[in-house]
Amino acid sequence: MPSVVYVVDDDASFRTAIERRLKNAGYEVVAYPSAQRLLDNLPDESRPSCILLDVQIPGLSGPDLQTRLSDLDSTLPIVFLTGHGDIPTTVQTIKAGAQDFLTKPVSSDQLLGAVERALANHQTVRDRRGRLDIQRALITSLTPRERQVFELVVRGRINKQIAAQLGTTERTIKAHRQKVMEKMKAQTLAELVSTAERLGMFEMSDKNRG
Amino acid sequence: MFRAIWITGLVVWLAALWQPVVAATDVPRPRSMLILDQSEARGPFYYQVFSGIRAAVNADTDAHVTIYSESLDLSRFRGQANEENLHRFLREKYRDRPVGVVIAIGAATLDLALRWRGELWPETPIVFATFDKGDLSRLKPPPGVTGGIVRMRLQDTIEAARAVVPDLDTIFLVGDPWDSQVIFRNWKDEINSAAAGLNVIELVGLKMRELRERVTALPDRSAIIYSAIYSDGEGNFYPPATALALMADRANRPIIVAAETFLSPGGIGGFVLLPTVVGSAIARLALRILNGEPSPSAPMELTDAIKPIFNWPQMQKWHVSESSLPPGSEIRFREPTFWERYRWQSIVVVATILLQATLIAILLQERRRRRYAEVEARNRMSELAHLNRRATAGEMSASIAHELNQPLGAILTNTETAESMLKSATPNLDEVKEILADIRRDDQRANEVMRRLRSLVKMKPFETRIIDLNDTVREVFQFLSVQASTRSVALDLEETPKILQVKGDPIQLQQVIVNLVVNSMDAMASLPNGRVVTGRTELCNGTSAEISISDSGHGIPSEQLARVFDPFFTTKEQGMGIGLSIARTIVQAHGGRIWAENQTGGGAIFRLSIPLAKA
Repeated sequence: MPSVVYVVDDDASFRTAIERRLKNAGYEVVAYPSAQRLLDNLPDESRPSCILLDVQIPGLSGPDLQTRLSDLDSTLPIVFLTGHGDIPTTVQTIKAGAQDFLTKPVSSDQLLGAVERALANHQTVRDRRGRLDIQRALITSLTPRERQVFELVVRGRINKQIAAQLGTTERTIKAHRQKVMEKMKAQTLAELVSTAERLGMFEMSDKNRG
Repeated sequence: MFRAIWITGLVVWLAALWQPVVAATDVPRPRSMLILDQSEARGPFYYQVFSGIRAAVNADTDAHVTIYSESLDLSRFRGQANEENLHRFLREKYRDRPVGVVIAIGAATLDLALRWRGELWPETPIVFATFDKGDLSRLKPPPGVTGGIVRMRLQDTIEAARAVVPDLDTIFLVGDPWDSQVIFRNWKDEINSAAAGLNVIELVGLKMRELRERVTALPDRSAIIYSAIYSDGEGNFYPPATALALMADRANRPIIVAAETFLSPGGIGGFVLLPTVVGSAIARLALRILNGEPSPSAPMELTDAIKPIFNWPQMQKWHVSESSLPPGSEIRFREPTFWERYRWQSIVVVATILLQATLIAILLQERRRRRYAEVEARNRMSELAHLNRRATAGEMSASIAHELNQPLGAILTNTETAESMLKSATPNLDEVKEILADIRRDDQRANEVMRRLRSLVKMKPFETRIIDLNDTVREVFQFLSVQASTRSVALDLEETPKILQVKGDPIQLQQVIVNLVVNSMDAMASLPNGRVVTGRTELCNGTSAEISISDSGHGIPSEQLARVFDPFFTTKEQGMGIGLSIARTIVQAHGGRIWAENQTGGGAIFRLSIPLAKA
């Protein structure tokens, strides 16, 4: 199953040339003349895919589309194409998480390299996203008490402190802690902390605290 | 006794001696003069003598003198009986009229006056004018009778004839019989001596008819010498000037004359008698006598009364040059030359023409300088417009690069695709062909961008041709579309379906539209969104094309509306203020006008109108 490259460019001639090149390299290509058209047909992110996006397109611009996709929690890496290097735009798009930034005219090596990297990246992101989804599911299996213990453990509290805070015995905490390690499939405390970090639990609890 | 007789004789002698003295001094003479002439009153010669007398009398303003005059007409009436009648007539007429002095003109008159003097004017002095010394020796004037004598010499007249006809060999003497002549009678005795070496043919006493016939066929190298004719020989009398005119009418040779009055009737001239000089000379003498001076015993010679005078029209007729005339000659009736006649008018006319010519020259020079200045101004405008276009091109370099990069990028990618395809064992040649066609199309597209860029930055003299303004505006909007999109400005063009045919420089008119559109985009730079530039083309009254460029910005403060086209007026931080000024200059060079307004719904609108080209 080939990877999919979405091409968004208002210039028909350039669009066709890119489409042709990518197909020749073995990709499946979906081309749109405007950003809106892509938004109207949101890509299936379950397949390895990426977007080749022209910066200057009439209507919704390239950076605008990037923002909209980000709002939609899209995982699709975006490779920007531009007629001329415009430093503020470049910086803005890279900060917003652009995969790459190519200047027209672009050589096949550059183009294919960037597409390949983007697809690989998408793969990674998708994998990571997959693991996170599993871990999120695991968290839901915790009981409320176990969840409390989990949050305090990853913040480095020792059993005694936790017991004092939750108003129970050190022994009970130890049992909960064992249960959490099991349920979260963590071998070591470090692994557990890393999972919590990935799931954004520190931010969440900070927010709660604030 | 003897002694008494002696004394008595002495007294008588003394008394006799005294008497004239007493008469001259103690008893004043009557202040009157009686003029007797031998002609009829209408004769021009005597008329001029008379006017000379009158002029001299009037010149003496000391005391008035009464003038009586009698024309005795002796050339037509002669004989004893006529003389007696005249005698009686004068005696009766002047019985109670005291006469201070008698003036007798001509020898025949003097002869009568002397004979009548004893009875009619005893002791009255007589002043005469005569034309021949011989007359005096014949008449022997007694004391108290004096006058002037004019010597008319045939020799002088022949000299004049030689001057007029240099190779003269024959003279024709024309006149009444010598004995009946009153002035020229003595010429008869002079012929032999004066005309030596010449053929002399006397046409004397002929009837006028015969004479007029004869003078039509006179030989070359001859001249006519006219004395005087008083009658046609057939009972008709006329003044000799009239007779001369009759003959001159026919004569085929020049006529030499000897009286001033014969010049105008057709005489070419000669040593002529001046009757006014004669008149005034004897009148002055008569006045002196009236004033008590004694009469001089010898007559005076009136040399002033003869002068060489010639007739200019006749000189022209007979081809006589002025240089061949006797020294001291006077020329009469000379037509004043054009210059002499119209001297002042000519000067004024020439001066006016010169002044006008100068003015015209100055105006032409001014016009040339103006035209030169216009060309200069147009060149300067072209240069400035060029600079403005280059600046525009610079400003638009980003969008130009973009426009170039699109086709170049497509070409590169297509080429590499094709290469890749051709590497395979079974290349799809149809697709390769398609790719090559695309490459060619994109190359042309890039080329078109370059052409437009070149036309924008190229320095071109102002040149006009017939163009459709719709095309001009459309091209600009296409050209600026990229820049508009990078600046998030929507470009909207509403063209009239009618053809807007104008005569103009397409590059410069495009520049006007570029300046207006870029200006509108700049005006909206601070807007967060909703940036629209609308272009509209219209046909106005079928006589002009109107283009309007409007924006959706804040408009122009009303106090600045009139100034936006002024050079170096700008509201932009980096603007030079020449874009709109150049736009106006270009529009005006096309005979059009450009102005700015604010739209009621907000935003500024720039309008320009250019007259349509005549089909």
